[in-house]
Amino acid sequence: MHADTKSVRVWDLPTRIFHWSLVASFATAFLTSESEKLRDIHVIAGYTLAGLIVFRLLWGFIGGGYSRFAEFLPTPRKLIDYLKSLLDGKPQHYVGHNPAGAVAIFLLLGFGLAAAASGWAVYEDVGGHFMEELHEGAANGMMAVVGIHIAGVIVSSWLHRENLVLAMITGWKTRHGRDSVQAKAGFTDLKHSGRN
Amino acid sequence: MRHLLIIAAALFAATASAETPRDFLTRFEKEAGTAASAQRGARFFTSKQGGEWSCSSCHTDKPTQAGRHAKTEKAITPLAPAVNAERFTDAAKVDKWFRRNCNDTLNRVCSAQEKADVMAWLLTLK
Repeated sequence: MHADTKSVRVWDLPTRIFHWSLVASFATAFLTSESEKLRDIHVIAGYTLAGLIVFRLLWGFIGGGYSRFAEFLPTPRKLIDYLKSLLDGKPQHYVGHNPAGAVAIFLLLGFGLAAAASGWAVYEDVGGHFMEELHEGAANGMMAVVGIHIAGVIVSSWLHRENLVLAMITGWKTRHGRDSVQAKAGFTDLKHSGRN
Repeated sequence: MRHLLIIAAALFAATASAETPRDFLTRFEKEAGTAASAQRGARFFTSKQGGEWSCSSCHTDKPTQAGRHAKTEKAITPLAPAVNAERFTDAAKVDKWFRRNCNDTLNRVCSAQEKADVMAWLLTLK
């Protein structure tokens, strides 16, 4: 199946490991957030999350094709065009991140960093009540974006008839011969060769 | 970032309403429908209630002193309002920490009566 010219290698291994590790660390931190007994686990999960996000920020500059920020940087124009295409019932297809998904990713990275930094401050008794509020606000903001992200994945998978969850596990997407919007023409070769 | 700060400041202002420790005693007594007992509060605070920890595991059995987190060993400022004027002055904070700490010590929420008793006891400490 992978040799099929219709299969596209989209997500490299570090991006996929990052994604699911982030899911695990955020879920762990969220589920242990109300307990003092589980405070150690909560703190370890938070530092893990911070380390993962730092890695992702670096990988956004040095990683493989579709993992790079330059490939999916969402400009207002691209975002509006994409959202319009959704409303028109003819959604633009992106092989990598679509502009709405890209906005969610940057929000997740930002909220995640804010939650980790303010969490460290709360743990070290720096910044007092303000840091507690910031920590809870950032974590709840992140959870809200996770909800939107999951809804977006479900809707997008249905609209484009592709299994985006599976793609984040295997790294491969199957093309349906539709026109795809590409940020970089340079990816075309890579895309059809099925390598990477 | 500036917007975040403004939102956080607004949240802070909204939650920093001024209550006094006595207000909480009155509120919990009203919710419970009976008068509080400082004696019962002392017993409740200093003995385990089915869980691994009691309140005093972190706050000590003399909450006029600083406490120590039973897990992280970090210092906790005294709980008794007589020695710590910041305690029990913010409803959002009081509700949040009763919710969290009751869950850690009792594996359930505290009843209004239990909270009233603890408040009554803490207010007797000098």
